[in-house]
Amino acid sequence: MGVTEKLAQAISHAPMIALLGNPNCGKTALFNRLTGSRQKVANYAGVTIERKEGHCLSPAGHPYRVLDLPGAYSLTAHTPDEAITRDVVGGLRANDGSPDVVVCVVDATNLRLNLRLVLEIQRLGLPMVLCLNMVDVAKKRGIEIDADQLARELHMTVVETVAVQSGGEKALLRALDDMWPVVPVKPRPLAAIDAVSVEDTQREVRRILSVVAKNVHKSDDRSEQIDNVVLHPVAGPVILAVLMFLIFQAVFTWAAVPMEMISGGVEQIGVLLSEHMADGVLRSLLVEGIIGGVGSVLVFLPQILILFFFILILEDCGYLPRAAFLLDRLMGGVGLSGRAFIPLLSSFACAIPGVMAARTIQNPRDRLVTIMIAPLMTCSARLPVYALVIAAFIPEREVWGAVSLQGLILFCLYFAGIISAMGVAWFMKRSAGAKAKQALMMELPSYHWPNLRNLVIGLWERAKIFLMRVGTVILTLMVLLWALSSFPGAPAGATHPPIYYSIAGMLGRALEVIFAPIGFGWEICIALVPGMAAREVAVGALGTVYALSQKGDDLATSLTPVLASSWSLATALSLLAWYVFAPQCLSTLSVVRRETGHVRYAFYMAGYMFALAYSASFITYHVARALGA
Amino acid sequence: MTLAPSLINLDTLAAGKSGTVVHVAPTNGDGGESADLARRLMELGFVPGEKIRMLKRGMPGGEPLAIKVGNATFALRRYEAALVAIQPE
Repeated sequence: MGVTEKLAQAISHAPMIALLGNPNCGKTALFNRLTGSRQKVANYAGVTIERKEGHCLSPAGHPYRVLDLPGAYSLTAHTPDEAITRDVVGGLRANDGSPDVVVCVVDATNLRLNLRLVLEIQRLGLPMVLCLNMVDVAKKRGIEIDADQLARELHMTVVETVAVQSGGEKALLRALDDMWPVVPVKPRPLAAIDAVSVEDTQREVRRILSVVAKNVHKSDDRSEQIDNVVLHPVAGPVILAVLMFLIFQAVFTWAAVPMEMISGGVEQIGVLLSEHMADGVLRSLLVEGIIGGVGSVLVFLPQILILFFFILILEDCGYLPRAAFLLDRLMGGVGLSGRAFIPLLSSFACAIPGVMAARTIQNPRDRLVTIMIAPLMTCSARLPVYALVIAAFIPEREVWGAVSLQGLILFCLYFAGIISAMGVAWFMKRSAGAKAKQALMMELPSYHWPNLRNLVIGLWERAKIFLMRVGTVILTLMVLLWALSSFPGAPAGATHPPIYYSIAGMLGRALEVIFAPIGFGWEICIALVPGMAAREVAVGALGTVYALSQKGDDLATSLTPVLASSWSLATALSLLAWYVFAPQCLSTLSVVRRETGHVRYAFYMAGYMFALAYSASFITYHVARALGA
Repeated sequence: MTLAPSLINLDTLAAGKSGTVVHVAPTNGDGGESADLARRLMELGFVPGEKIRMLKRGMPGGEPLAIKVGNATFALRRYEAALVAIQPE
């Protein structure tokens, strides 16, 4: 047996420690600190809540499996996330088994809220360790906690940790080593938790705090001062709008250099291969199908990473819930909860995590509406299409001094998606009739500096997901599309480029009947077909379509000038409008089916989005033509 | 439910003012959902005896509310805050 196999076996038999705590207690940062890159992100069986498991080795050489449970305020579950946490800890999930040790992570600056959950879990009788996390912040604020006294009061090991600091997890690992070997214990039934009322539990928390801590009331004045500005009725929304605008500007301007490097590199590879290979089917597959197609999607990696860079920072420093607070009235106006903001914001990256994040919404109808409108938020997969068309048709100049016109158009497209989502939500709520009250109940955590390590791990996850998609779904589609567009070849004496006679060409020409009224020629129609599988593939497909349509050897030249010369402005605008509402990529539809439990919601979604997209493109095309575009 | 004259519901507290939670109860009539909300409010720390402070009220219409309880801040809608009866300072 090899070393890695031995290690894998040791890990699979290692004790399972579960990290459990309130949202915002720094649990995930501690998980990242313990496991580093040794993480496995999957789903809990039967549901699509993210299950993060990793492993680590203690100083004494004992292996542990580490499970990062979803954050919970209580084991009396109010959301599906909390239900998972409750079921795992209670040993009710057949596939997971109850954890061997529960590590309760608490925010040392807010023991009053956090300790209640600890007392609840203690009633289950599992071996426990308490992590006083963020002790550095608590000390700075003058909060004094006697950890030894707390350990005596709770009858459990108490360790101090600073999850954002290198080595801040050492005390926890030492405490786990002291418990070695871990003897599995069966948890008591969950009913044990309700044996004591919430008020009595809170009374006990207050009693414990009066014994072990001083100055627990020292609150976070700095966060309050920041909130005075950030949540200000006038300044707040202005800051939010400026912030969003700057992010979209940055996505366009910062990404320019790395994007040029990637496209230049891809071009070089194509040229190199063309020079060293004999002309034939294989060269065509490699240069036009794989390198041309995949390369034109890969080039958008920098933009996606920049967008996530900002989302992750805003999330980590605590601004996102403030944005939800500011937007709550707007959301409430169309019948959504402010909580819907987080799923909708995630949808700017991709609708799939957005649809999944809707789980944190308690009201089922509210959740369904949020899921249905999530794909109207402009996901990053649409960005490649926007970027390509904007670069080809919108001149690169500045308006009102320093604002890039291209960035401004992009901002408008995003805005159109948001407005239409609000309209659809309003319509759905109205047609659903009954006016139910929507709960908000959202914590506004203390602000803190974003953690570089968490940022890097988060960005790495995103890059990995994107590259996996490029390497699997997109590559497969590109090869398939290349085959469809290359066979059968052109007949002798053909007047059109060869793709016109291929299977894809036939399909595209058939679809042209439907799409001609909104200004799409057969080239665009061909690209729309694989675009159903993944939106960004449409760009790669256009690359293939036009590369194959070109006569001569200028295959690797960029698409931009080709599009600018072969489409009218009205067609370009129509395509942009189409993509604001673009019918779903298949993976989103399958997630919607899974999350809602009904295939009919996936059909509703595809249907209403197709109708919206077609109407919007139709109007855009004809108005643009009337105006002479 | 009749309140003693000095007690008010949390949703009517002005921004910047403080108070102490006296009791949390579902309003009359709408059964299970309010009871659920009341329980969750208590789990978040809105239990009798806790000091609370209204930090901010959203615009327009004074909603949502940002309320400090213990060392945590929560955003609530009006009808949620209306379940909490407080003694203003």
